[in-house]
Amino acid sequence: MIVEIGHIFLIGALVVSFIAGFSPLLRFLTKDNFYYMVIGPMNNLVCLFIFLSFISLIYSFLVDDFSVAYIANNSNTLLPTYYKFAATWGAHEGSLLLWIFCLCLWSTTYFFINRKKDEEFVALTLSVLNQIIFAFIAFTIFTSNPFERILPVVPIEGADLNPLLQDFAFTIHPPLLYLGYSGLAVPFALSLSALISKKIDSVWAREARPWSLLSSGFLTLGIALGSWWAYYELGWGGWWFWDPVENAAFVPWLISVAMFHSLIVTEKRGIYKNWSILLSILAFAASILGTFLVRSGILTSVHVFALDPERGVFILAIFSYFILGSLIFYSFLNNKLPGRSTYNLTSKEFGFLLNNILLVILALSIMFGTLFPLIYEALNDGDQISVGAPYYEILILPFALALSILQGAGLYLSWSSTKQFNFLNRVAIESFSIFVILSLLVFFIFGTLSWGTFLAIAMFSWIFSGNLVDAVYQSTQLQELKSILIKRFGMISAHLGTAFLILGVGIVTTFSLERDVVLQKGESYKLGSTHFIFKEIQEAKRLNYSFQSADIEIREEGLIDQISPEKRNYLSSNQVMTEAAIKPTLLQDYYVTLGEQVGDGTWTFKLQIKPFIRWIWFGAILIALGTFVSSYRYVKRL
Amino acid sequence: MHPIRKQRLYVVLSILLGTAVAAFLVFKGLSENINLFYSPSDLKKEKISVDNQIRVGGMVKKDSINKENNSLRTSFVITDFEEDLLITYEGILPDLFSEEAGIVAKGKINEEGTFIANEVLAKHDENYMPPEVAKTLKDKK
Repeated sequence: MIVEIGHIFLIGALVVSFIAGFSPLLRFLTKDNFYYMVIGPMNNLVCLFIFLSFISLIYSFLVDDFSVAYIANNSNTLLPTYYKFAATWGAHEGSLLLWIFCLCLWSTTYFFINRKKDEEFVALTLSVLNQIIFAFIAFTIFTSNPFERILPVVPIEGADLNPLLQDFAFTIHPPLLYLGYSGLAVPFALSLSALISKKIDSVWAREARPWSLLSSGFLTLGIALGSWWAYYELGWGGWWFWDPVENAAFVPWLISVAMFHSLIVTEKRGIYKNWSILLSILAFAASILGTFLVRSGILTSVHVFALDPERGVFILAIFSYFILGSLIFYSFLNNKLPGRSTYNLTSKEFGFLLNNILLVILALSIMFGTLFPLIYEALNDGDQISVGAPYYEILILPFALALSILQGAGLYLSWSSTKQFNFLNRVAIESFSIFVILSLLVFFIFGTLSWGTFLAIAMFSWIFSGNLVDAVYQSTQLQELKSILIKRFGMISAHLGTAFLILGVGIVTTFSLERDVVLQKGESYKLGSTHFIFKEIQEAKRLNYSFQSADIEIREEGLIDQISPEKRNYLSSNQVMTEAAIKPTLLQDYYVTLGEQVGDGTWTFKLQIKPFIRWIWFGAILIALGTFVSSYRYVKRL
Repeated sequence: MHPIRKQRLYVVLSILLGTAVAAFLVFKGLSENINLFYSPSDLKKEKISVDNQIRVGGMVKKDSINKENNSLRTSFVITDFEEDLLITYEGILPDLFSEEAGIVAKGKINEEGTFIANEVLAKHDENYMPPEVAKTLKDKK
């Protein structure tokens, strides 16, 4: 019963979002602006319907209603209650519903913040958002319906939620990521209504900025959480694999970052208007692609299209409708007037331009590498290839370097043309001192240095000085410093975040130690200066799995800790999973994975030491914090 | 030059420069880091140089997994139901590696025709077959 109610609410939302989405057309027929009044309430009604539909799916998961195919495939009675709840978005169908719910939250928030503003503009924006909601609900209902029943033979027990997904971080990873993805629909909708109502101006730019900042922030958190999850859950100790699924989130992130920087220039100087609009379209295109790529599996091979042509065609239709449609609007309605202000090569405008060019080209090149196997397969009669991680590593380094240089210097450039270059000397001296101190510290800790670390430390020092140290150095009074720090908090936090991230990446890539070993009970292995001692192994059982766990003692000069990696056997799916044990310390993580038994009391282990890895996620948190603070301030000023 | 013109020139030049750098890197990256995929039957037909890093895939044959005692070495045979390929690997295998599982291995082939893997992937889902493997198996069945 509840399932049918959820289904009916979903169909109701489909109908209402269709009416709301296409209501501007009514204006042409009736010459009446009546729809301005009703589109807001209709939008909220869609949000309510989707919420109720989502709740009924969650409820059905909690009561183990295995007559629903989606639930039977992704849950089971043994699953702890919390994971039954989170299993709602454990696979394609439910995560689409979550995506739609996130978008509804955005559209409703937009409505409540702007309901007293320019009626026509808000109505147009809401109609675009509702068209998107309509398209996604249609896709869900017709190709991936989570409410579909298996009748008449109802299974007694469900399959299981993939054990890898039975993890706290992974339950909040999709909602964060989807808030980011779907949030990019708002600047997209704002751009379209600005094009249609010919209001591409500073006001528009100021309105679009907080939404792009927020999406960026949620994408940052989502990506970082995914990376953290992969690190401790997959048992390989890797934190980024250049997997198509990761790239599908990284590309929209890069474009959204480009977008909120470009919008600053549009707001403050009234230029780059067309470019900002184009970016918002590109960002939304990347977001649609990313959404579909992540769970539908299309990227792994074009054959998925052939296996499930209905979904493929539907996705292409949605993509073409929104992206080609908006590009057509753009080419006819874009702002033909040249920007009034001029600038030269030393200006802030030009700095932002370089930032945008670098970010967008990097995003497109990563996209190209991700899609290249598909292109190759299509051109070479089904020959299959994969693009290795080194492709992306070669690619990203020069771009990261150039972007870091801009990040450290950009703050000191003036609009139009920079006259004073004193800052270069100061920042250079400051960053050089930090560079020397840090290099010595790193050398002291690890005993060696390499090109990679030098480069990472240099980038870190430059960004750090340009964004924070110089501000401290220059302010004569504490009061002055305080006001600068408060005023620029969002930017400083985000830029320092990238600096920490770069430092973490540089050091973990250079100084990680890794070894697969065979250990007898009581035996120890020395990795770097650390001893790993295999003490004991035992077997036991928990709620929905049985497991073996090894006790490993970690010793350096003294005992550091004892940790217990596990090998689990999930009872309902009979799936084996390793659970790595990690001992985090300030400077490095000790990471042990249990392999298998290869003799009497002899087991294989993967031992790893991962220095500075936590700085990567710490950096990401700072970036997200920065974007949230900045967008909050913008919304307050609106 | 008119300031607006000049401005446009800067823009165009920096875009060109950025694109040129990216194109160079993309080209270099792709020429060095593409790993071709072969099924065991493909390997019988084509001669692959011992220096080329390639990927192979198929189903792990029943009773073919041979683990050496007190060592990290494992050997096993994969099949596409037409030809077989012997693979050796030293290290910890992924959780989902088992008999009759679809796997993909990355590595080089040696003079005797044995595949020396430096990476073995079995995707983290028991229903999942790597797409290349699924296709190979479907073609041959």
